[in-house]
Amino acid sequence: MGNTKVIAAVYGPREVQNRSQQINDQVLVRCEYSMANFSTGDRIRKPKGDRRSTEISLVIRQTMEACIMTHLMPRSQIDIFVQVLQADGGTRSACINAATLALAEAGIPMRDLVTSCSAGYLCTTPLLDLNYVEDNAGGPDVTVGILAKMDKVTLLQMDAKLPMDIFENVMQLAIEGCKAIAHYIRDVMSHLLSFYVLITPSVI
Amino acid sequence: MVGLSIGEKKFIQGGISQDLRADGRQRRDFRPISVEIGVIPQANGSARVKLGATDVIASVKAELGRPSSLQPDKGKAAIFVDCSPTAAPIFEGRGGEELSTELSLALQRCLLGGKSGAGAGIDLSSLVIVEGKVCWDLYIDGLVVSSDGNLLDALAAAIKAALSNTGLPKVSVDLAAAKDDQPEVDLSDEEFLQFDTSGIPVVITLTKIGRHYIVDATSEEESQMSSAVSVSVNRRGQICGMTKRGGAGLDPSVILDMISVAKSISQQFMSVLDSEIAAAEAAEADDA
Repeated sequence: MGNTKVIAAVYGPREVQNRSQQINDQVLVRCEYSMANFSTGDRIRKPKGDRRSTEISLVIRQTMEACIMTHLMPRSQIDIFVQVLQADGGTRSACINAATLALAEAGIPMRDLVTSCSAGYLCTTPLLDLNYVEDNAGGPDVTVGILAKMDKVTLLQMDAKLPMDIFENVMQLAIEGCKAIAHYIRDVMSHLLSFYVLITPSVI
Repeated sequence: MVGLSIGEKKFIQGGISQDLRADGRQRRDFRPISVEIGVIPQANGSARVKLGATDVIASVKAELGRPSSLQPDKGKAAIFVDCSPTAAPIFEGRGGEELSTELSLALQRCLLGGKSGAGAGIDLSSLVIVEGKVCWDLYIDGLVVSSDGNLLDALAAAIKAALSNTGLPKVSVDLAAAKDDQPEVDLSDEEFLQFDTSGIPVVITLTKIGRHYIVDATSEEESQMSSAVSVSVNRRGQICGMTKRGGAGLDPSVILDMISVAKSISQQFMSVLDSEIAAAEAAEADDA
């Protein structure tokens, strides 16, 4: 997304590594978010396991759990790893979009595609997909994740106060952003699928 | 790490003793290498190197700092490597830390020389702006995105490419305006100083499997190794650093033999890498 670059990798479904975490009627979804040392303007010195990454890992995990058909793969585990190469605002959204695409490519059954997008409000204008400078300008930052086809909100975060009517506008804008991303992701996926069919004609 | 059956193990070992490896290479062949530079616009220099399925990114960030009091005429450079869990699930959490530390120390030894900075591939004295007062601190970060063996050679190649892509802003220092100890510094946005990267060595890792040794081992081959020797050699064929990994002991004569092989391979590898870097630079110039 713009100057924000992330990679997502999905491993699984596979055997649960830590038996005590095994869930008998569901798949265990785990997620780890990490930022490369060079991803921000100033170099990060201690990247792993700070509170911010733990929180984002949790957010991504909960969002993805909502769309994965967890009951189909009991007693197994899915790992989602997201790595930020370049951060320029909206890493949370970019990670969720990357994770969706990676899960779809891994062939994991999902109810729908989750897509996410942020929106803000600066100088009486609602803005879509804030970059780093806009994010630090002090306005509110609303991150929304939706299930695109089912039209359901699975993630909603906001970090400032905003009048109700403006919030509605901003959220509507973010939802529209999510839908545009969903559209794009579907395009990418159909493209990918036609490529797979091309190289292995026996798939379908 | 790599689960192999007995048959697969025998196949790898047998192939190596017959000079024909599982992917069709000979013992002293590298996998195809591809270099991209300028992949991280926020850094002073960056490069991505793919060696078969191994994929690494290196970035160079420069900050202004003070030279250490022991070596006032030298800048500072440090190498950090991080293994992303996207490469393998075992790197999750703190799982990659041991390998990351091993790789960063080996690279530090091979490229930056010892504590004195002597024998360094990078000329640290070119990083000094005002002796004893201002110098550049280079932070070289490596990130393993995908891992299929031979990480050390790939990282060293990526660092070499990233350094040749690095531009340090020209600094003008106003010593007269210095009030206390810290002189005033002015960074130029337009003029950049390019590095001299001709002295930066390449690292060649020879992995010993059975009675033979191979270059550019994949992770399956690495799982069968008894020991590995990494030699860093510069353009003039001088050895800049060495590390041995793996548990098994090596005969001193074998080590000497490995060094001379590494030396001859390094010259080929260096010319391949140089042409790849030049091609990547041309491609970047076209984009701009």
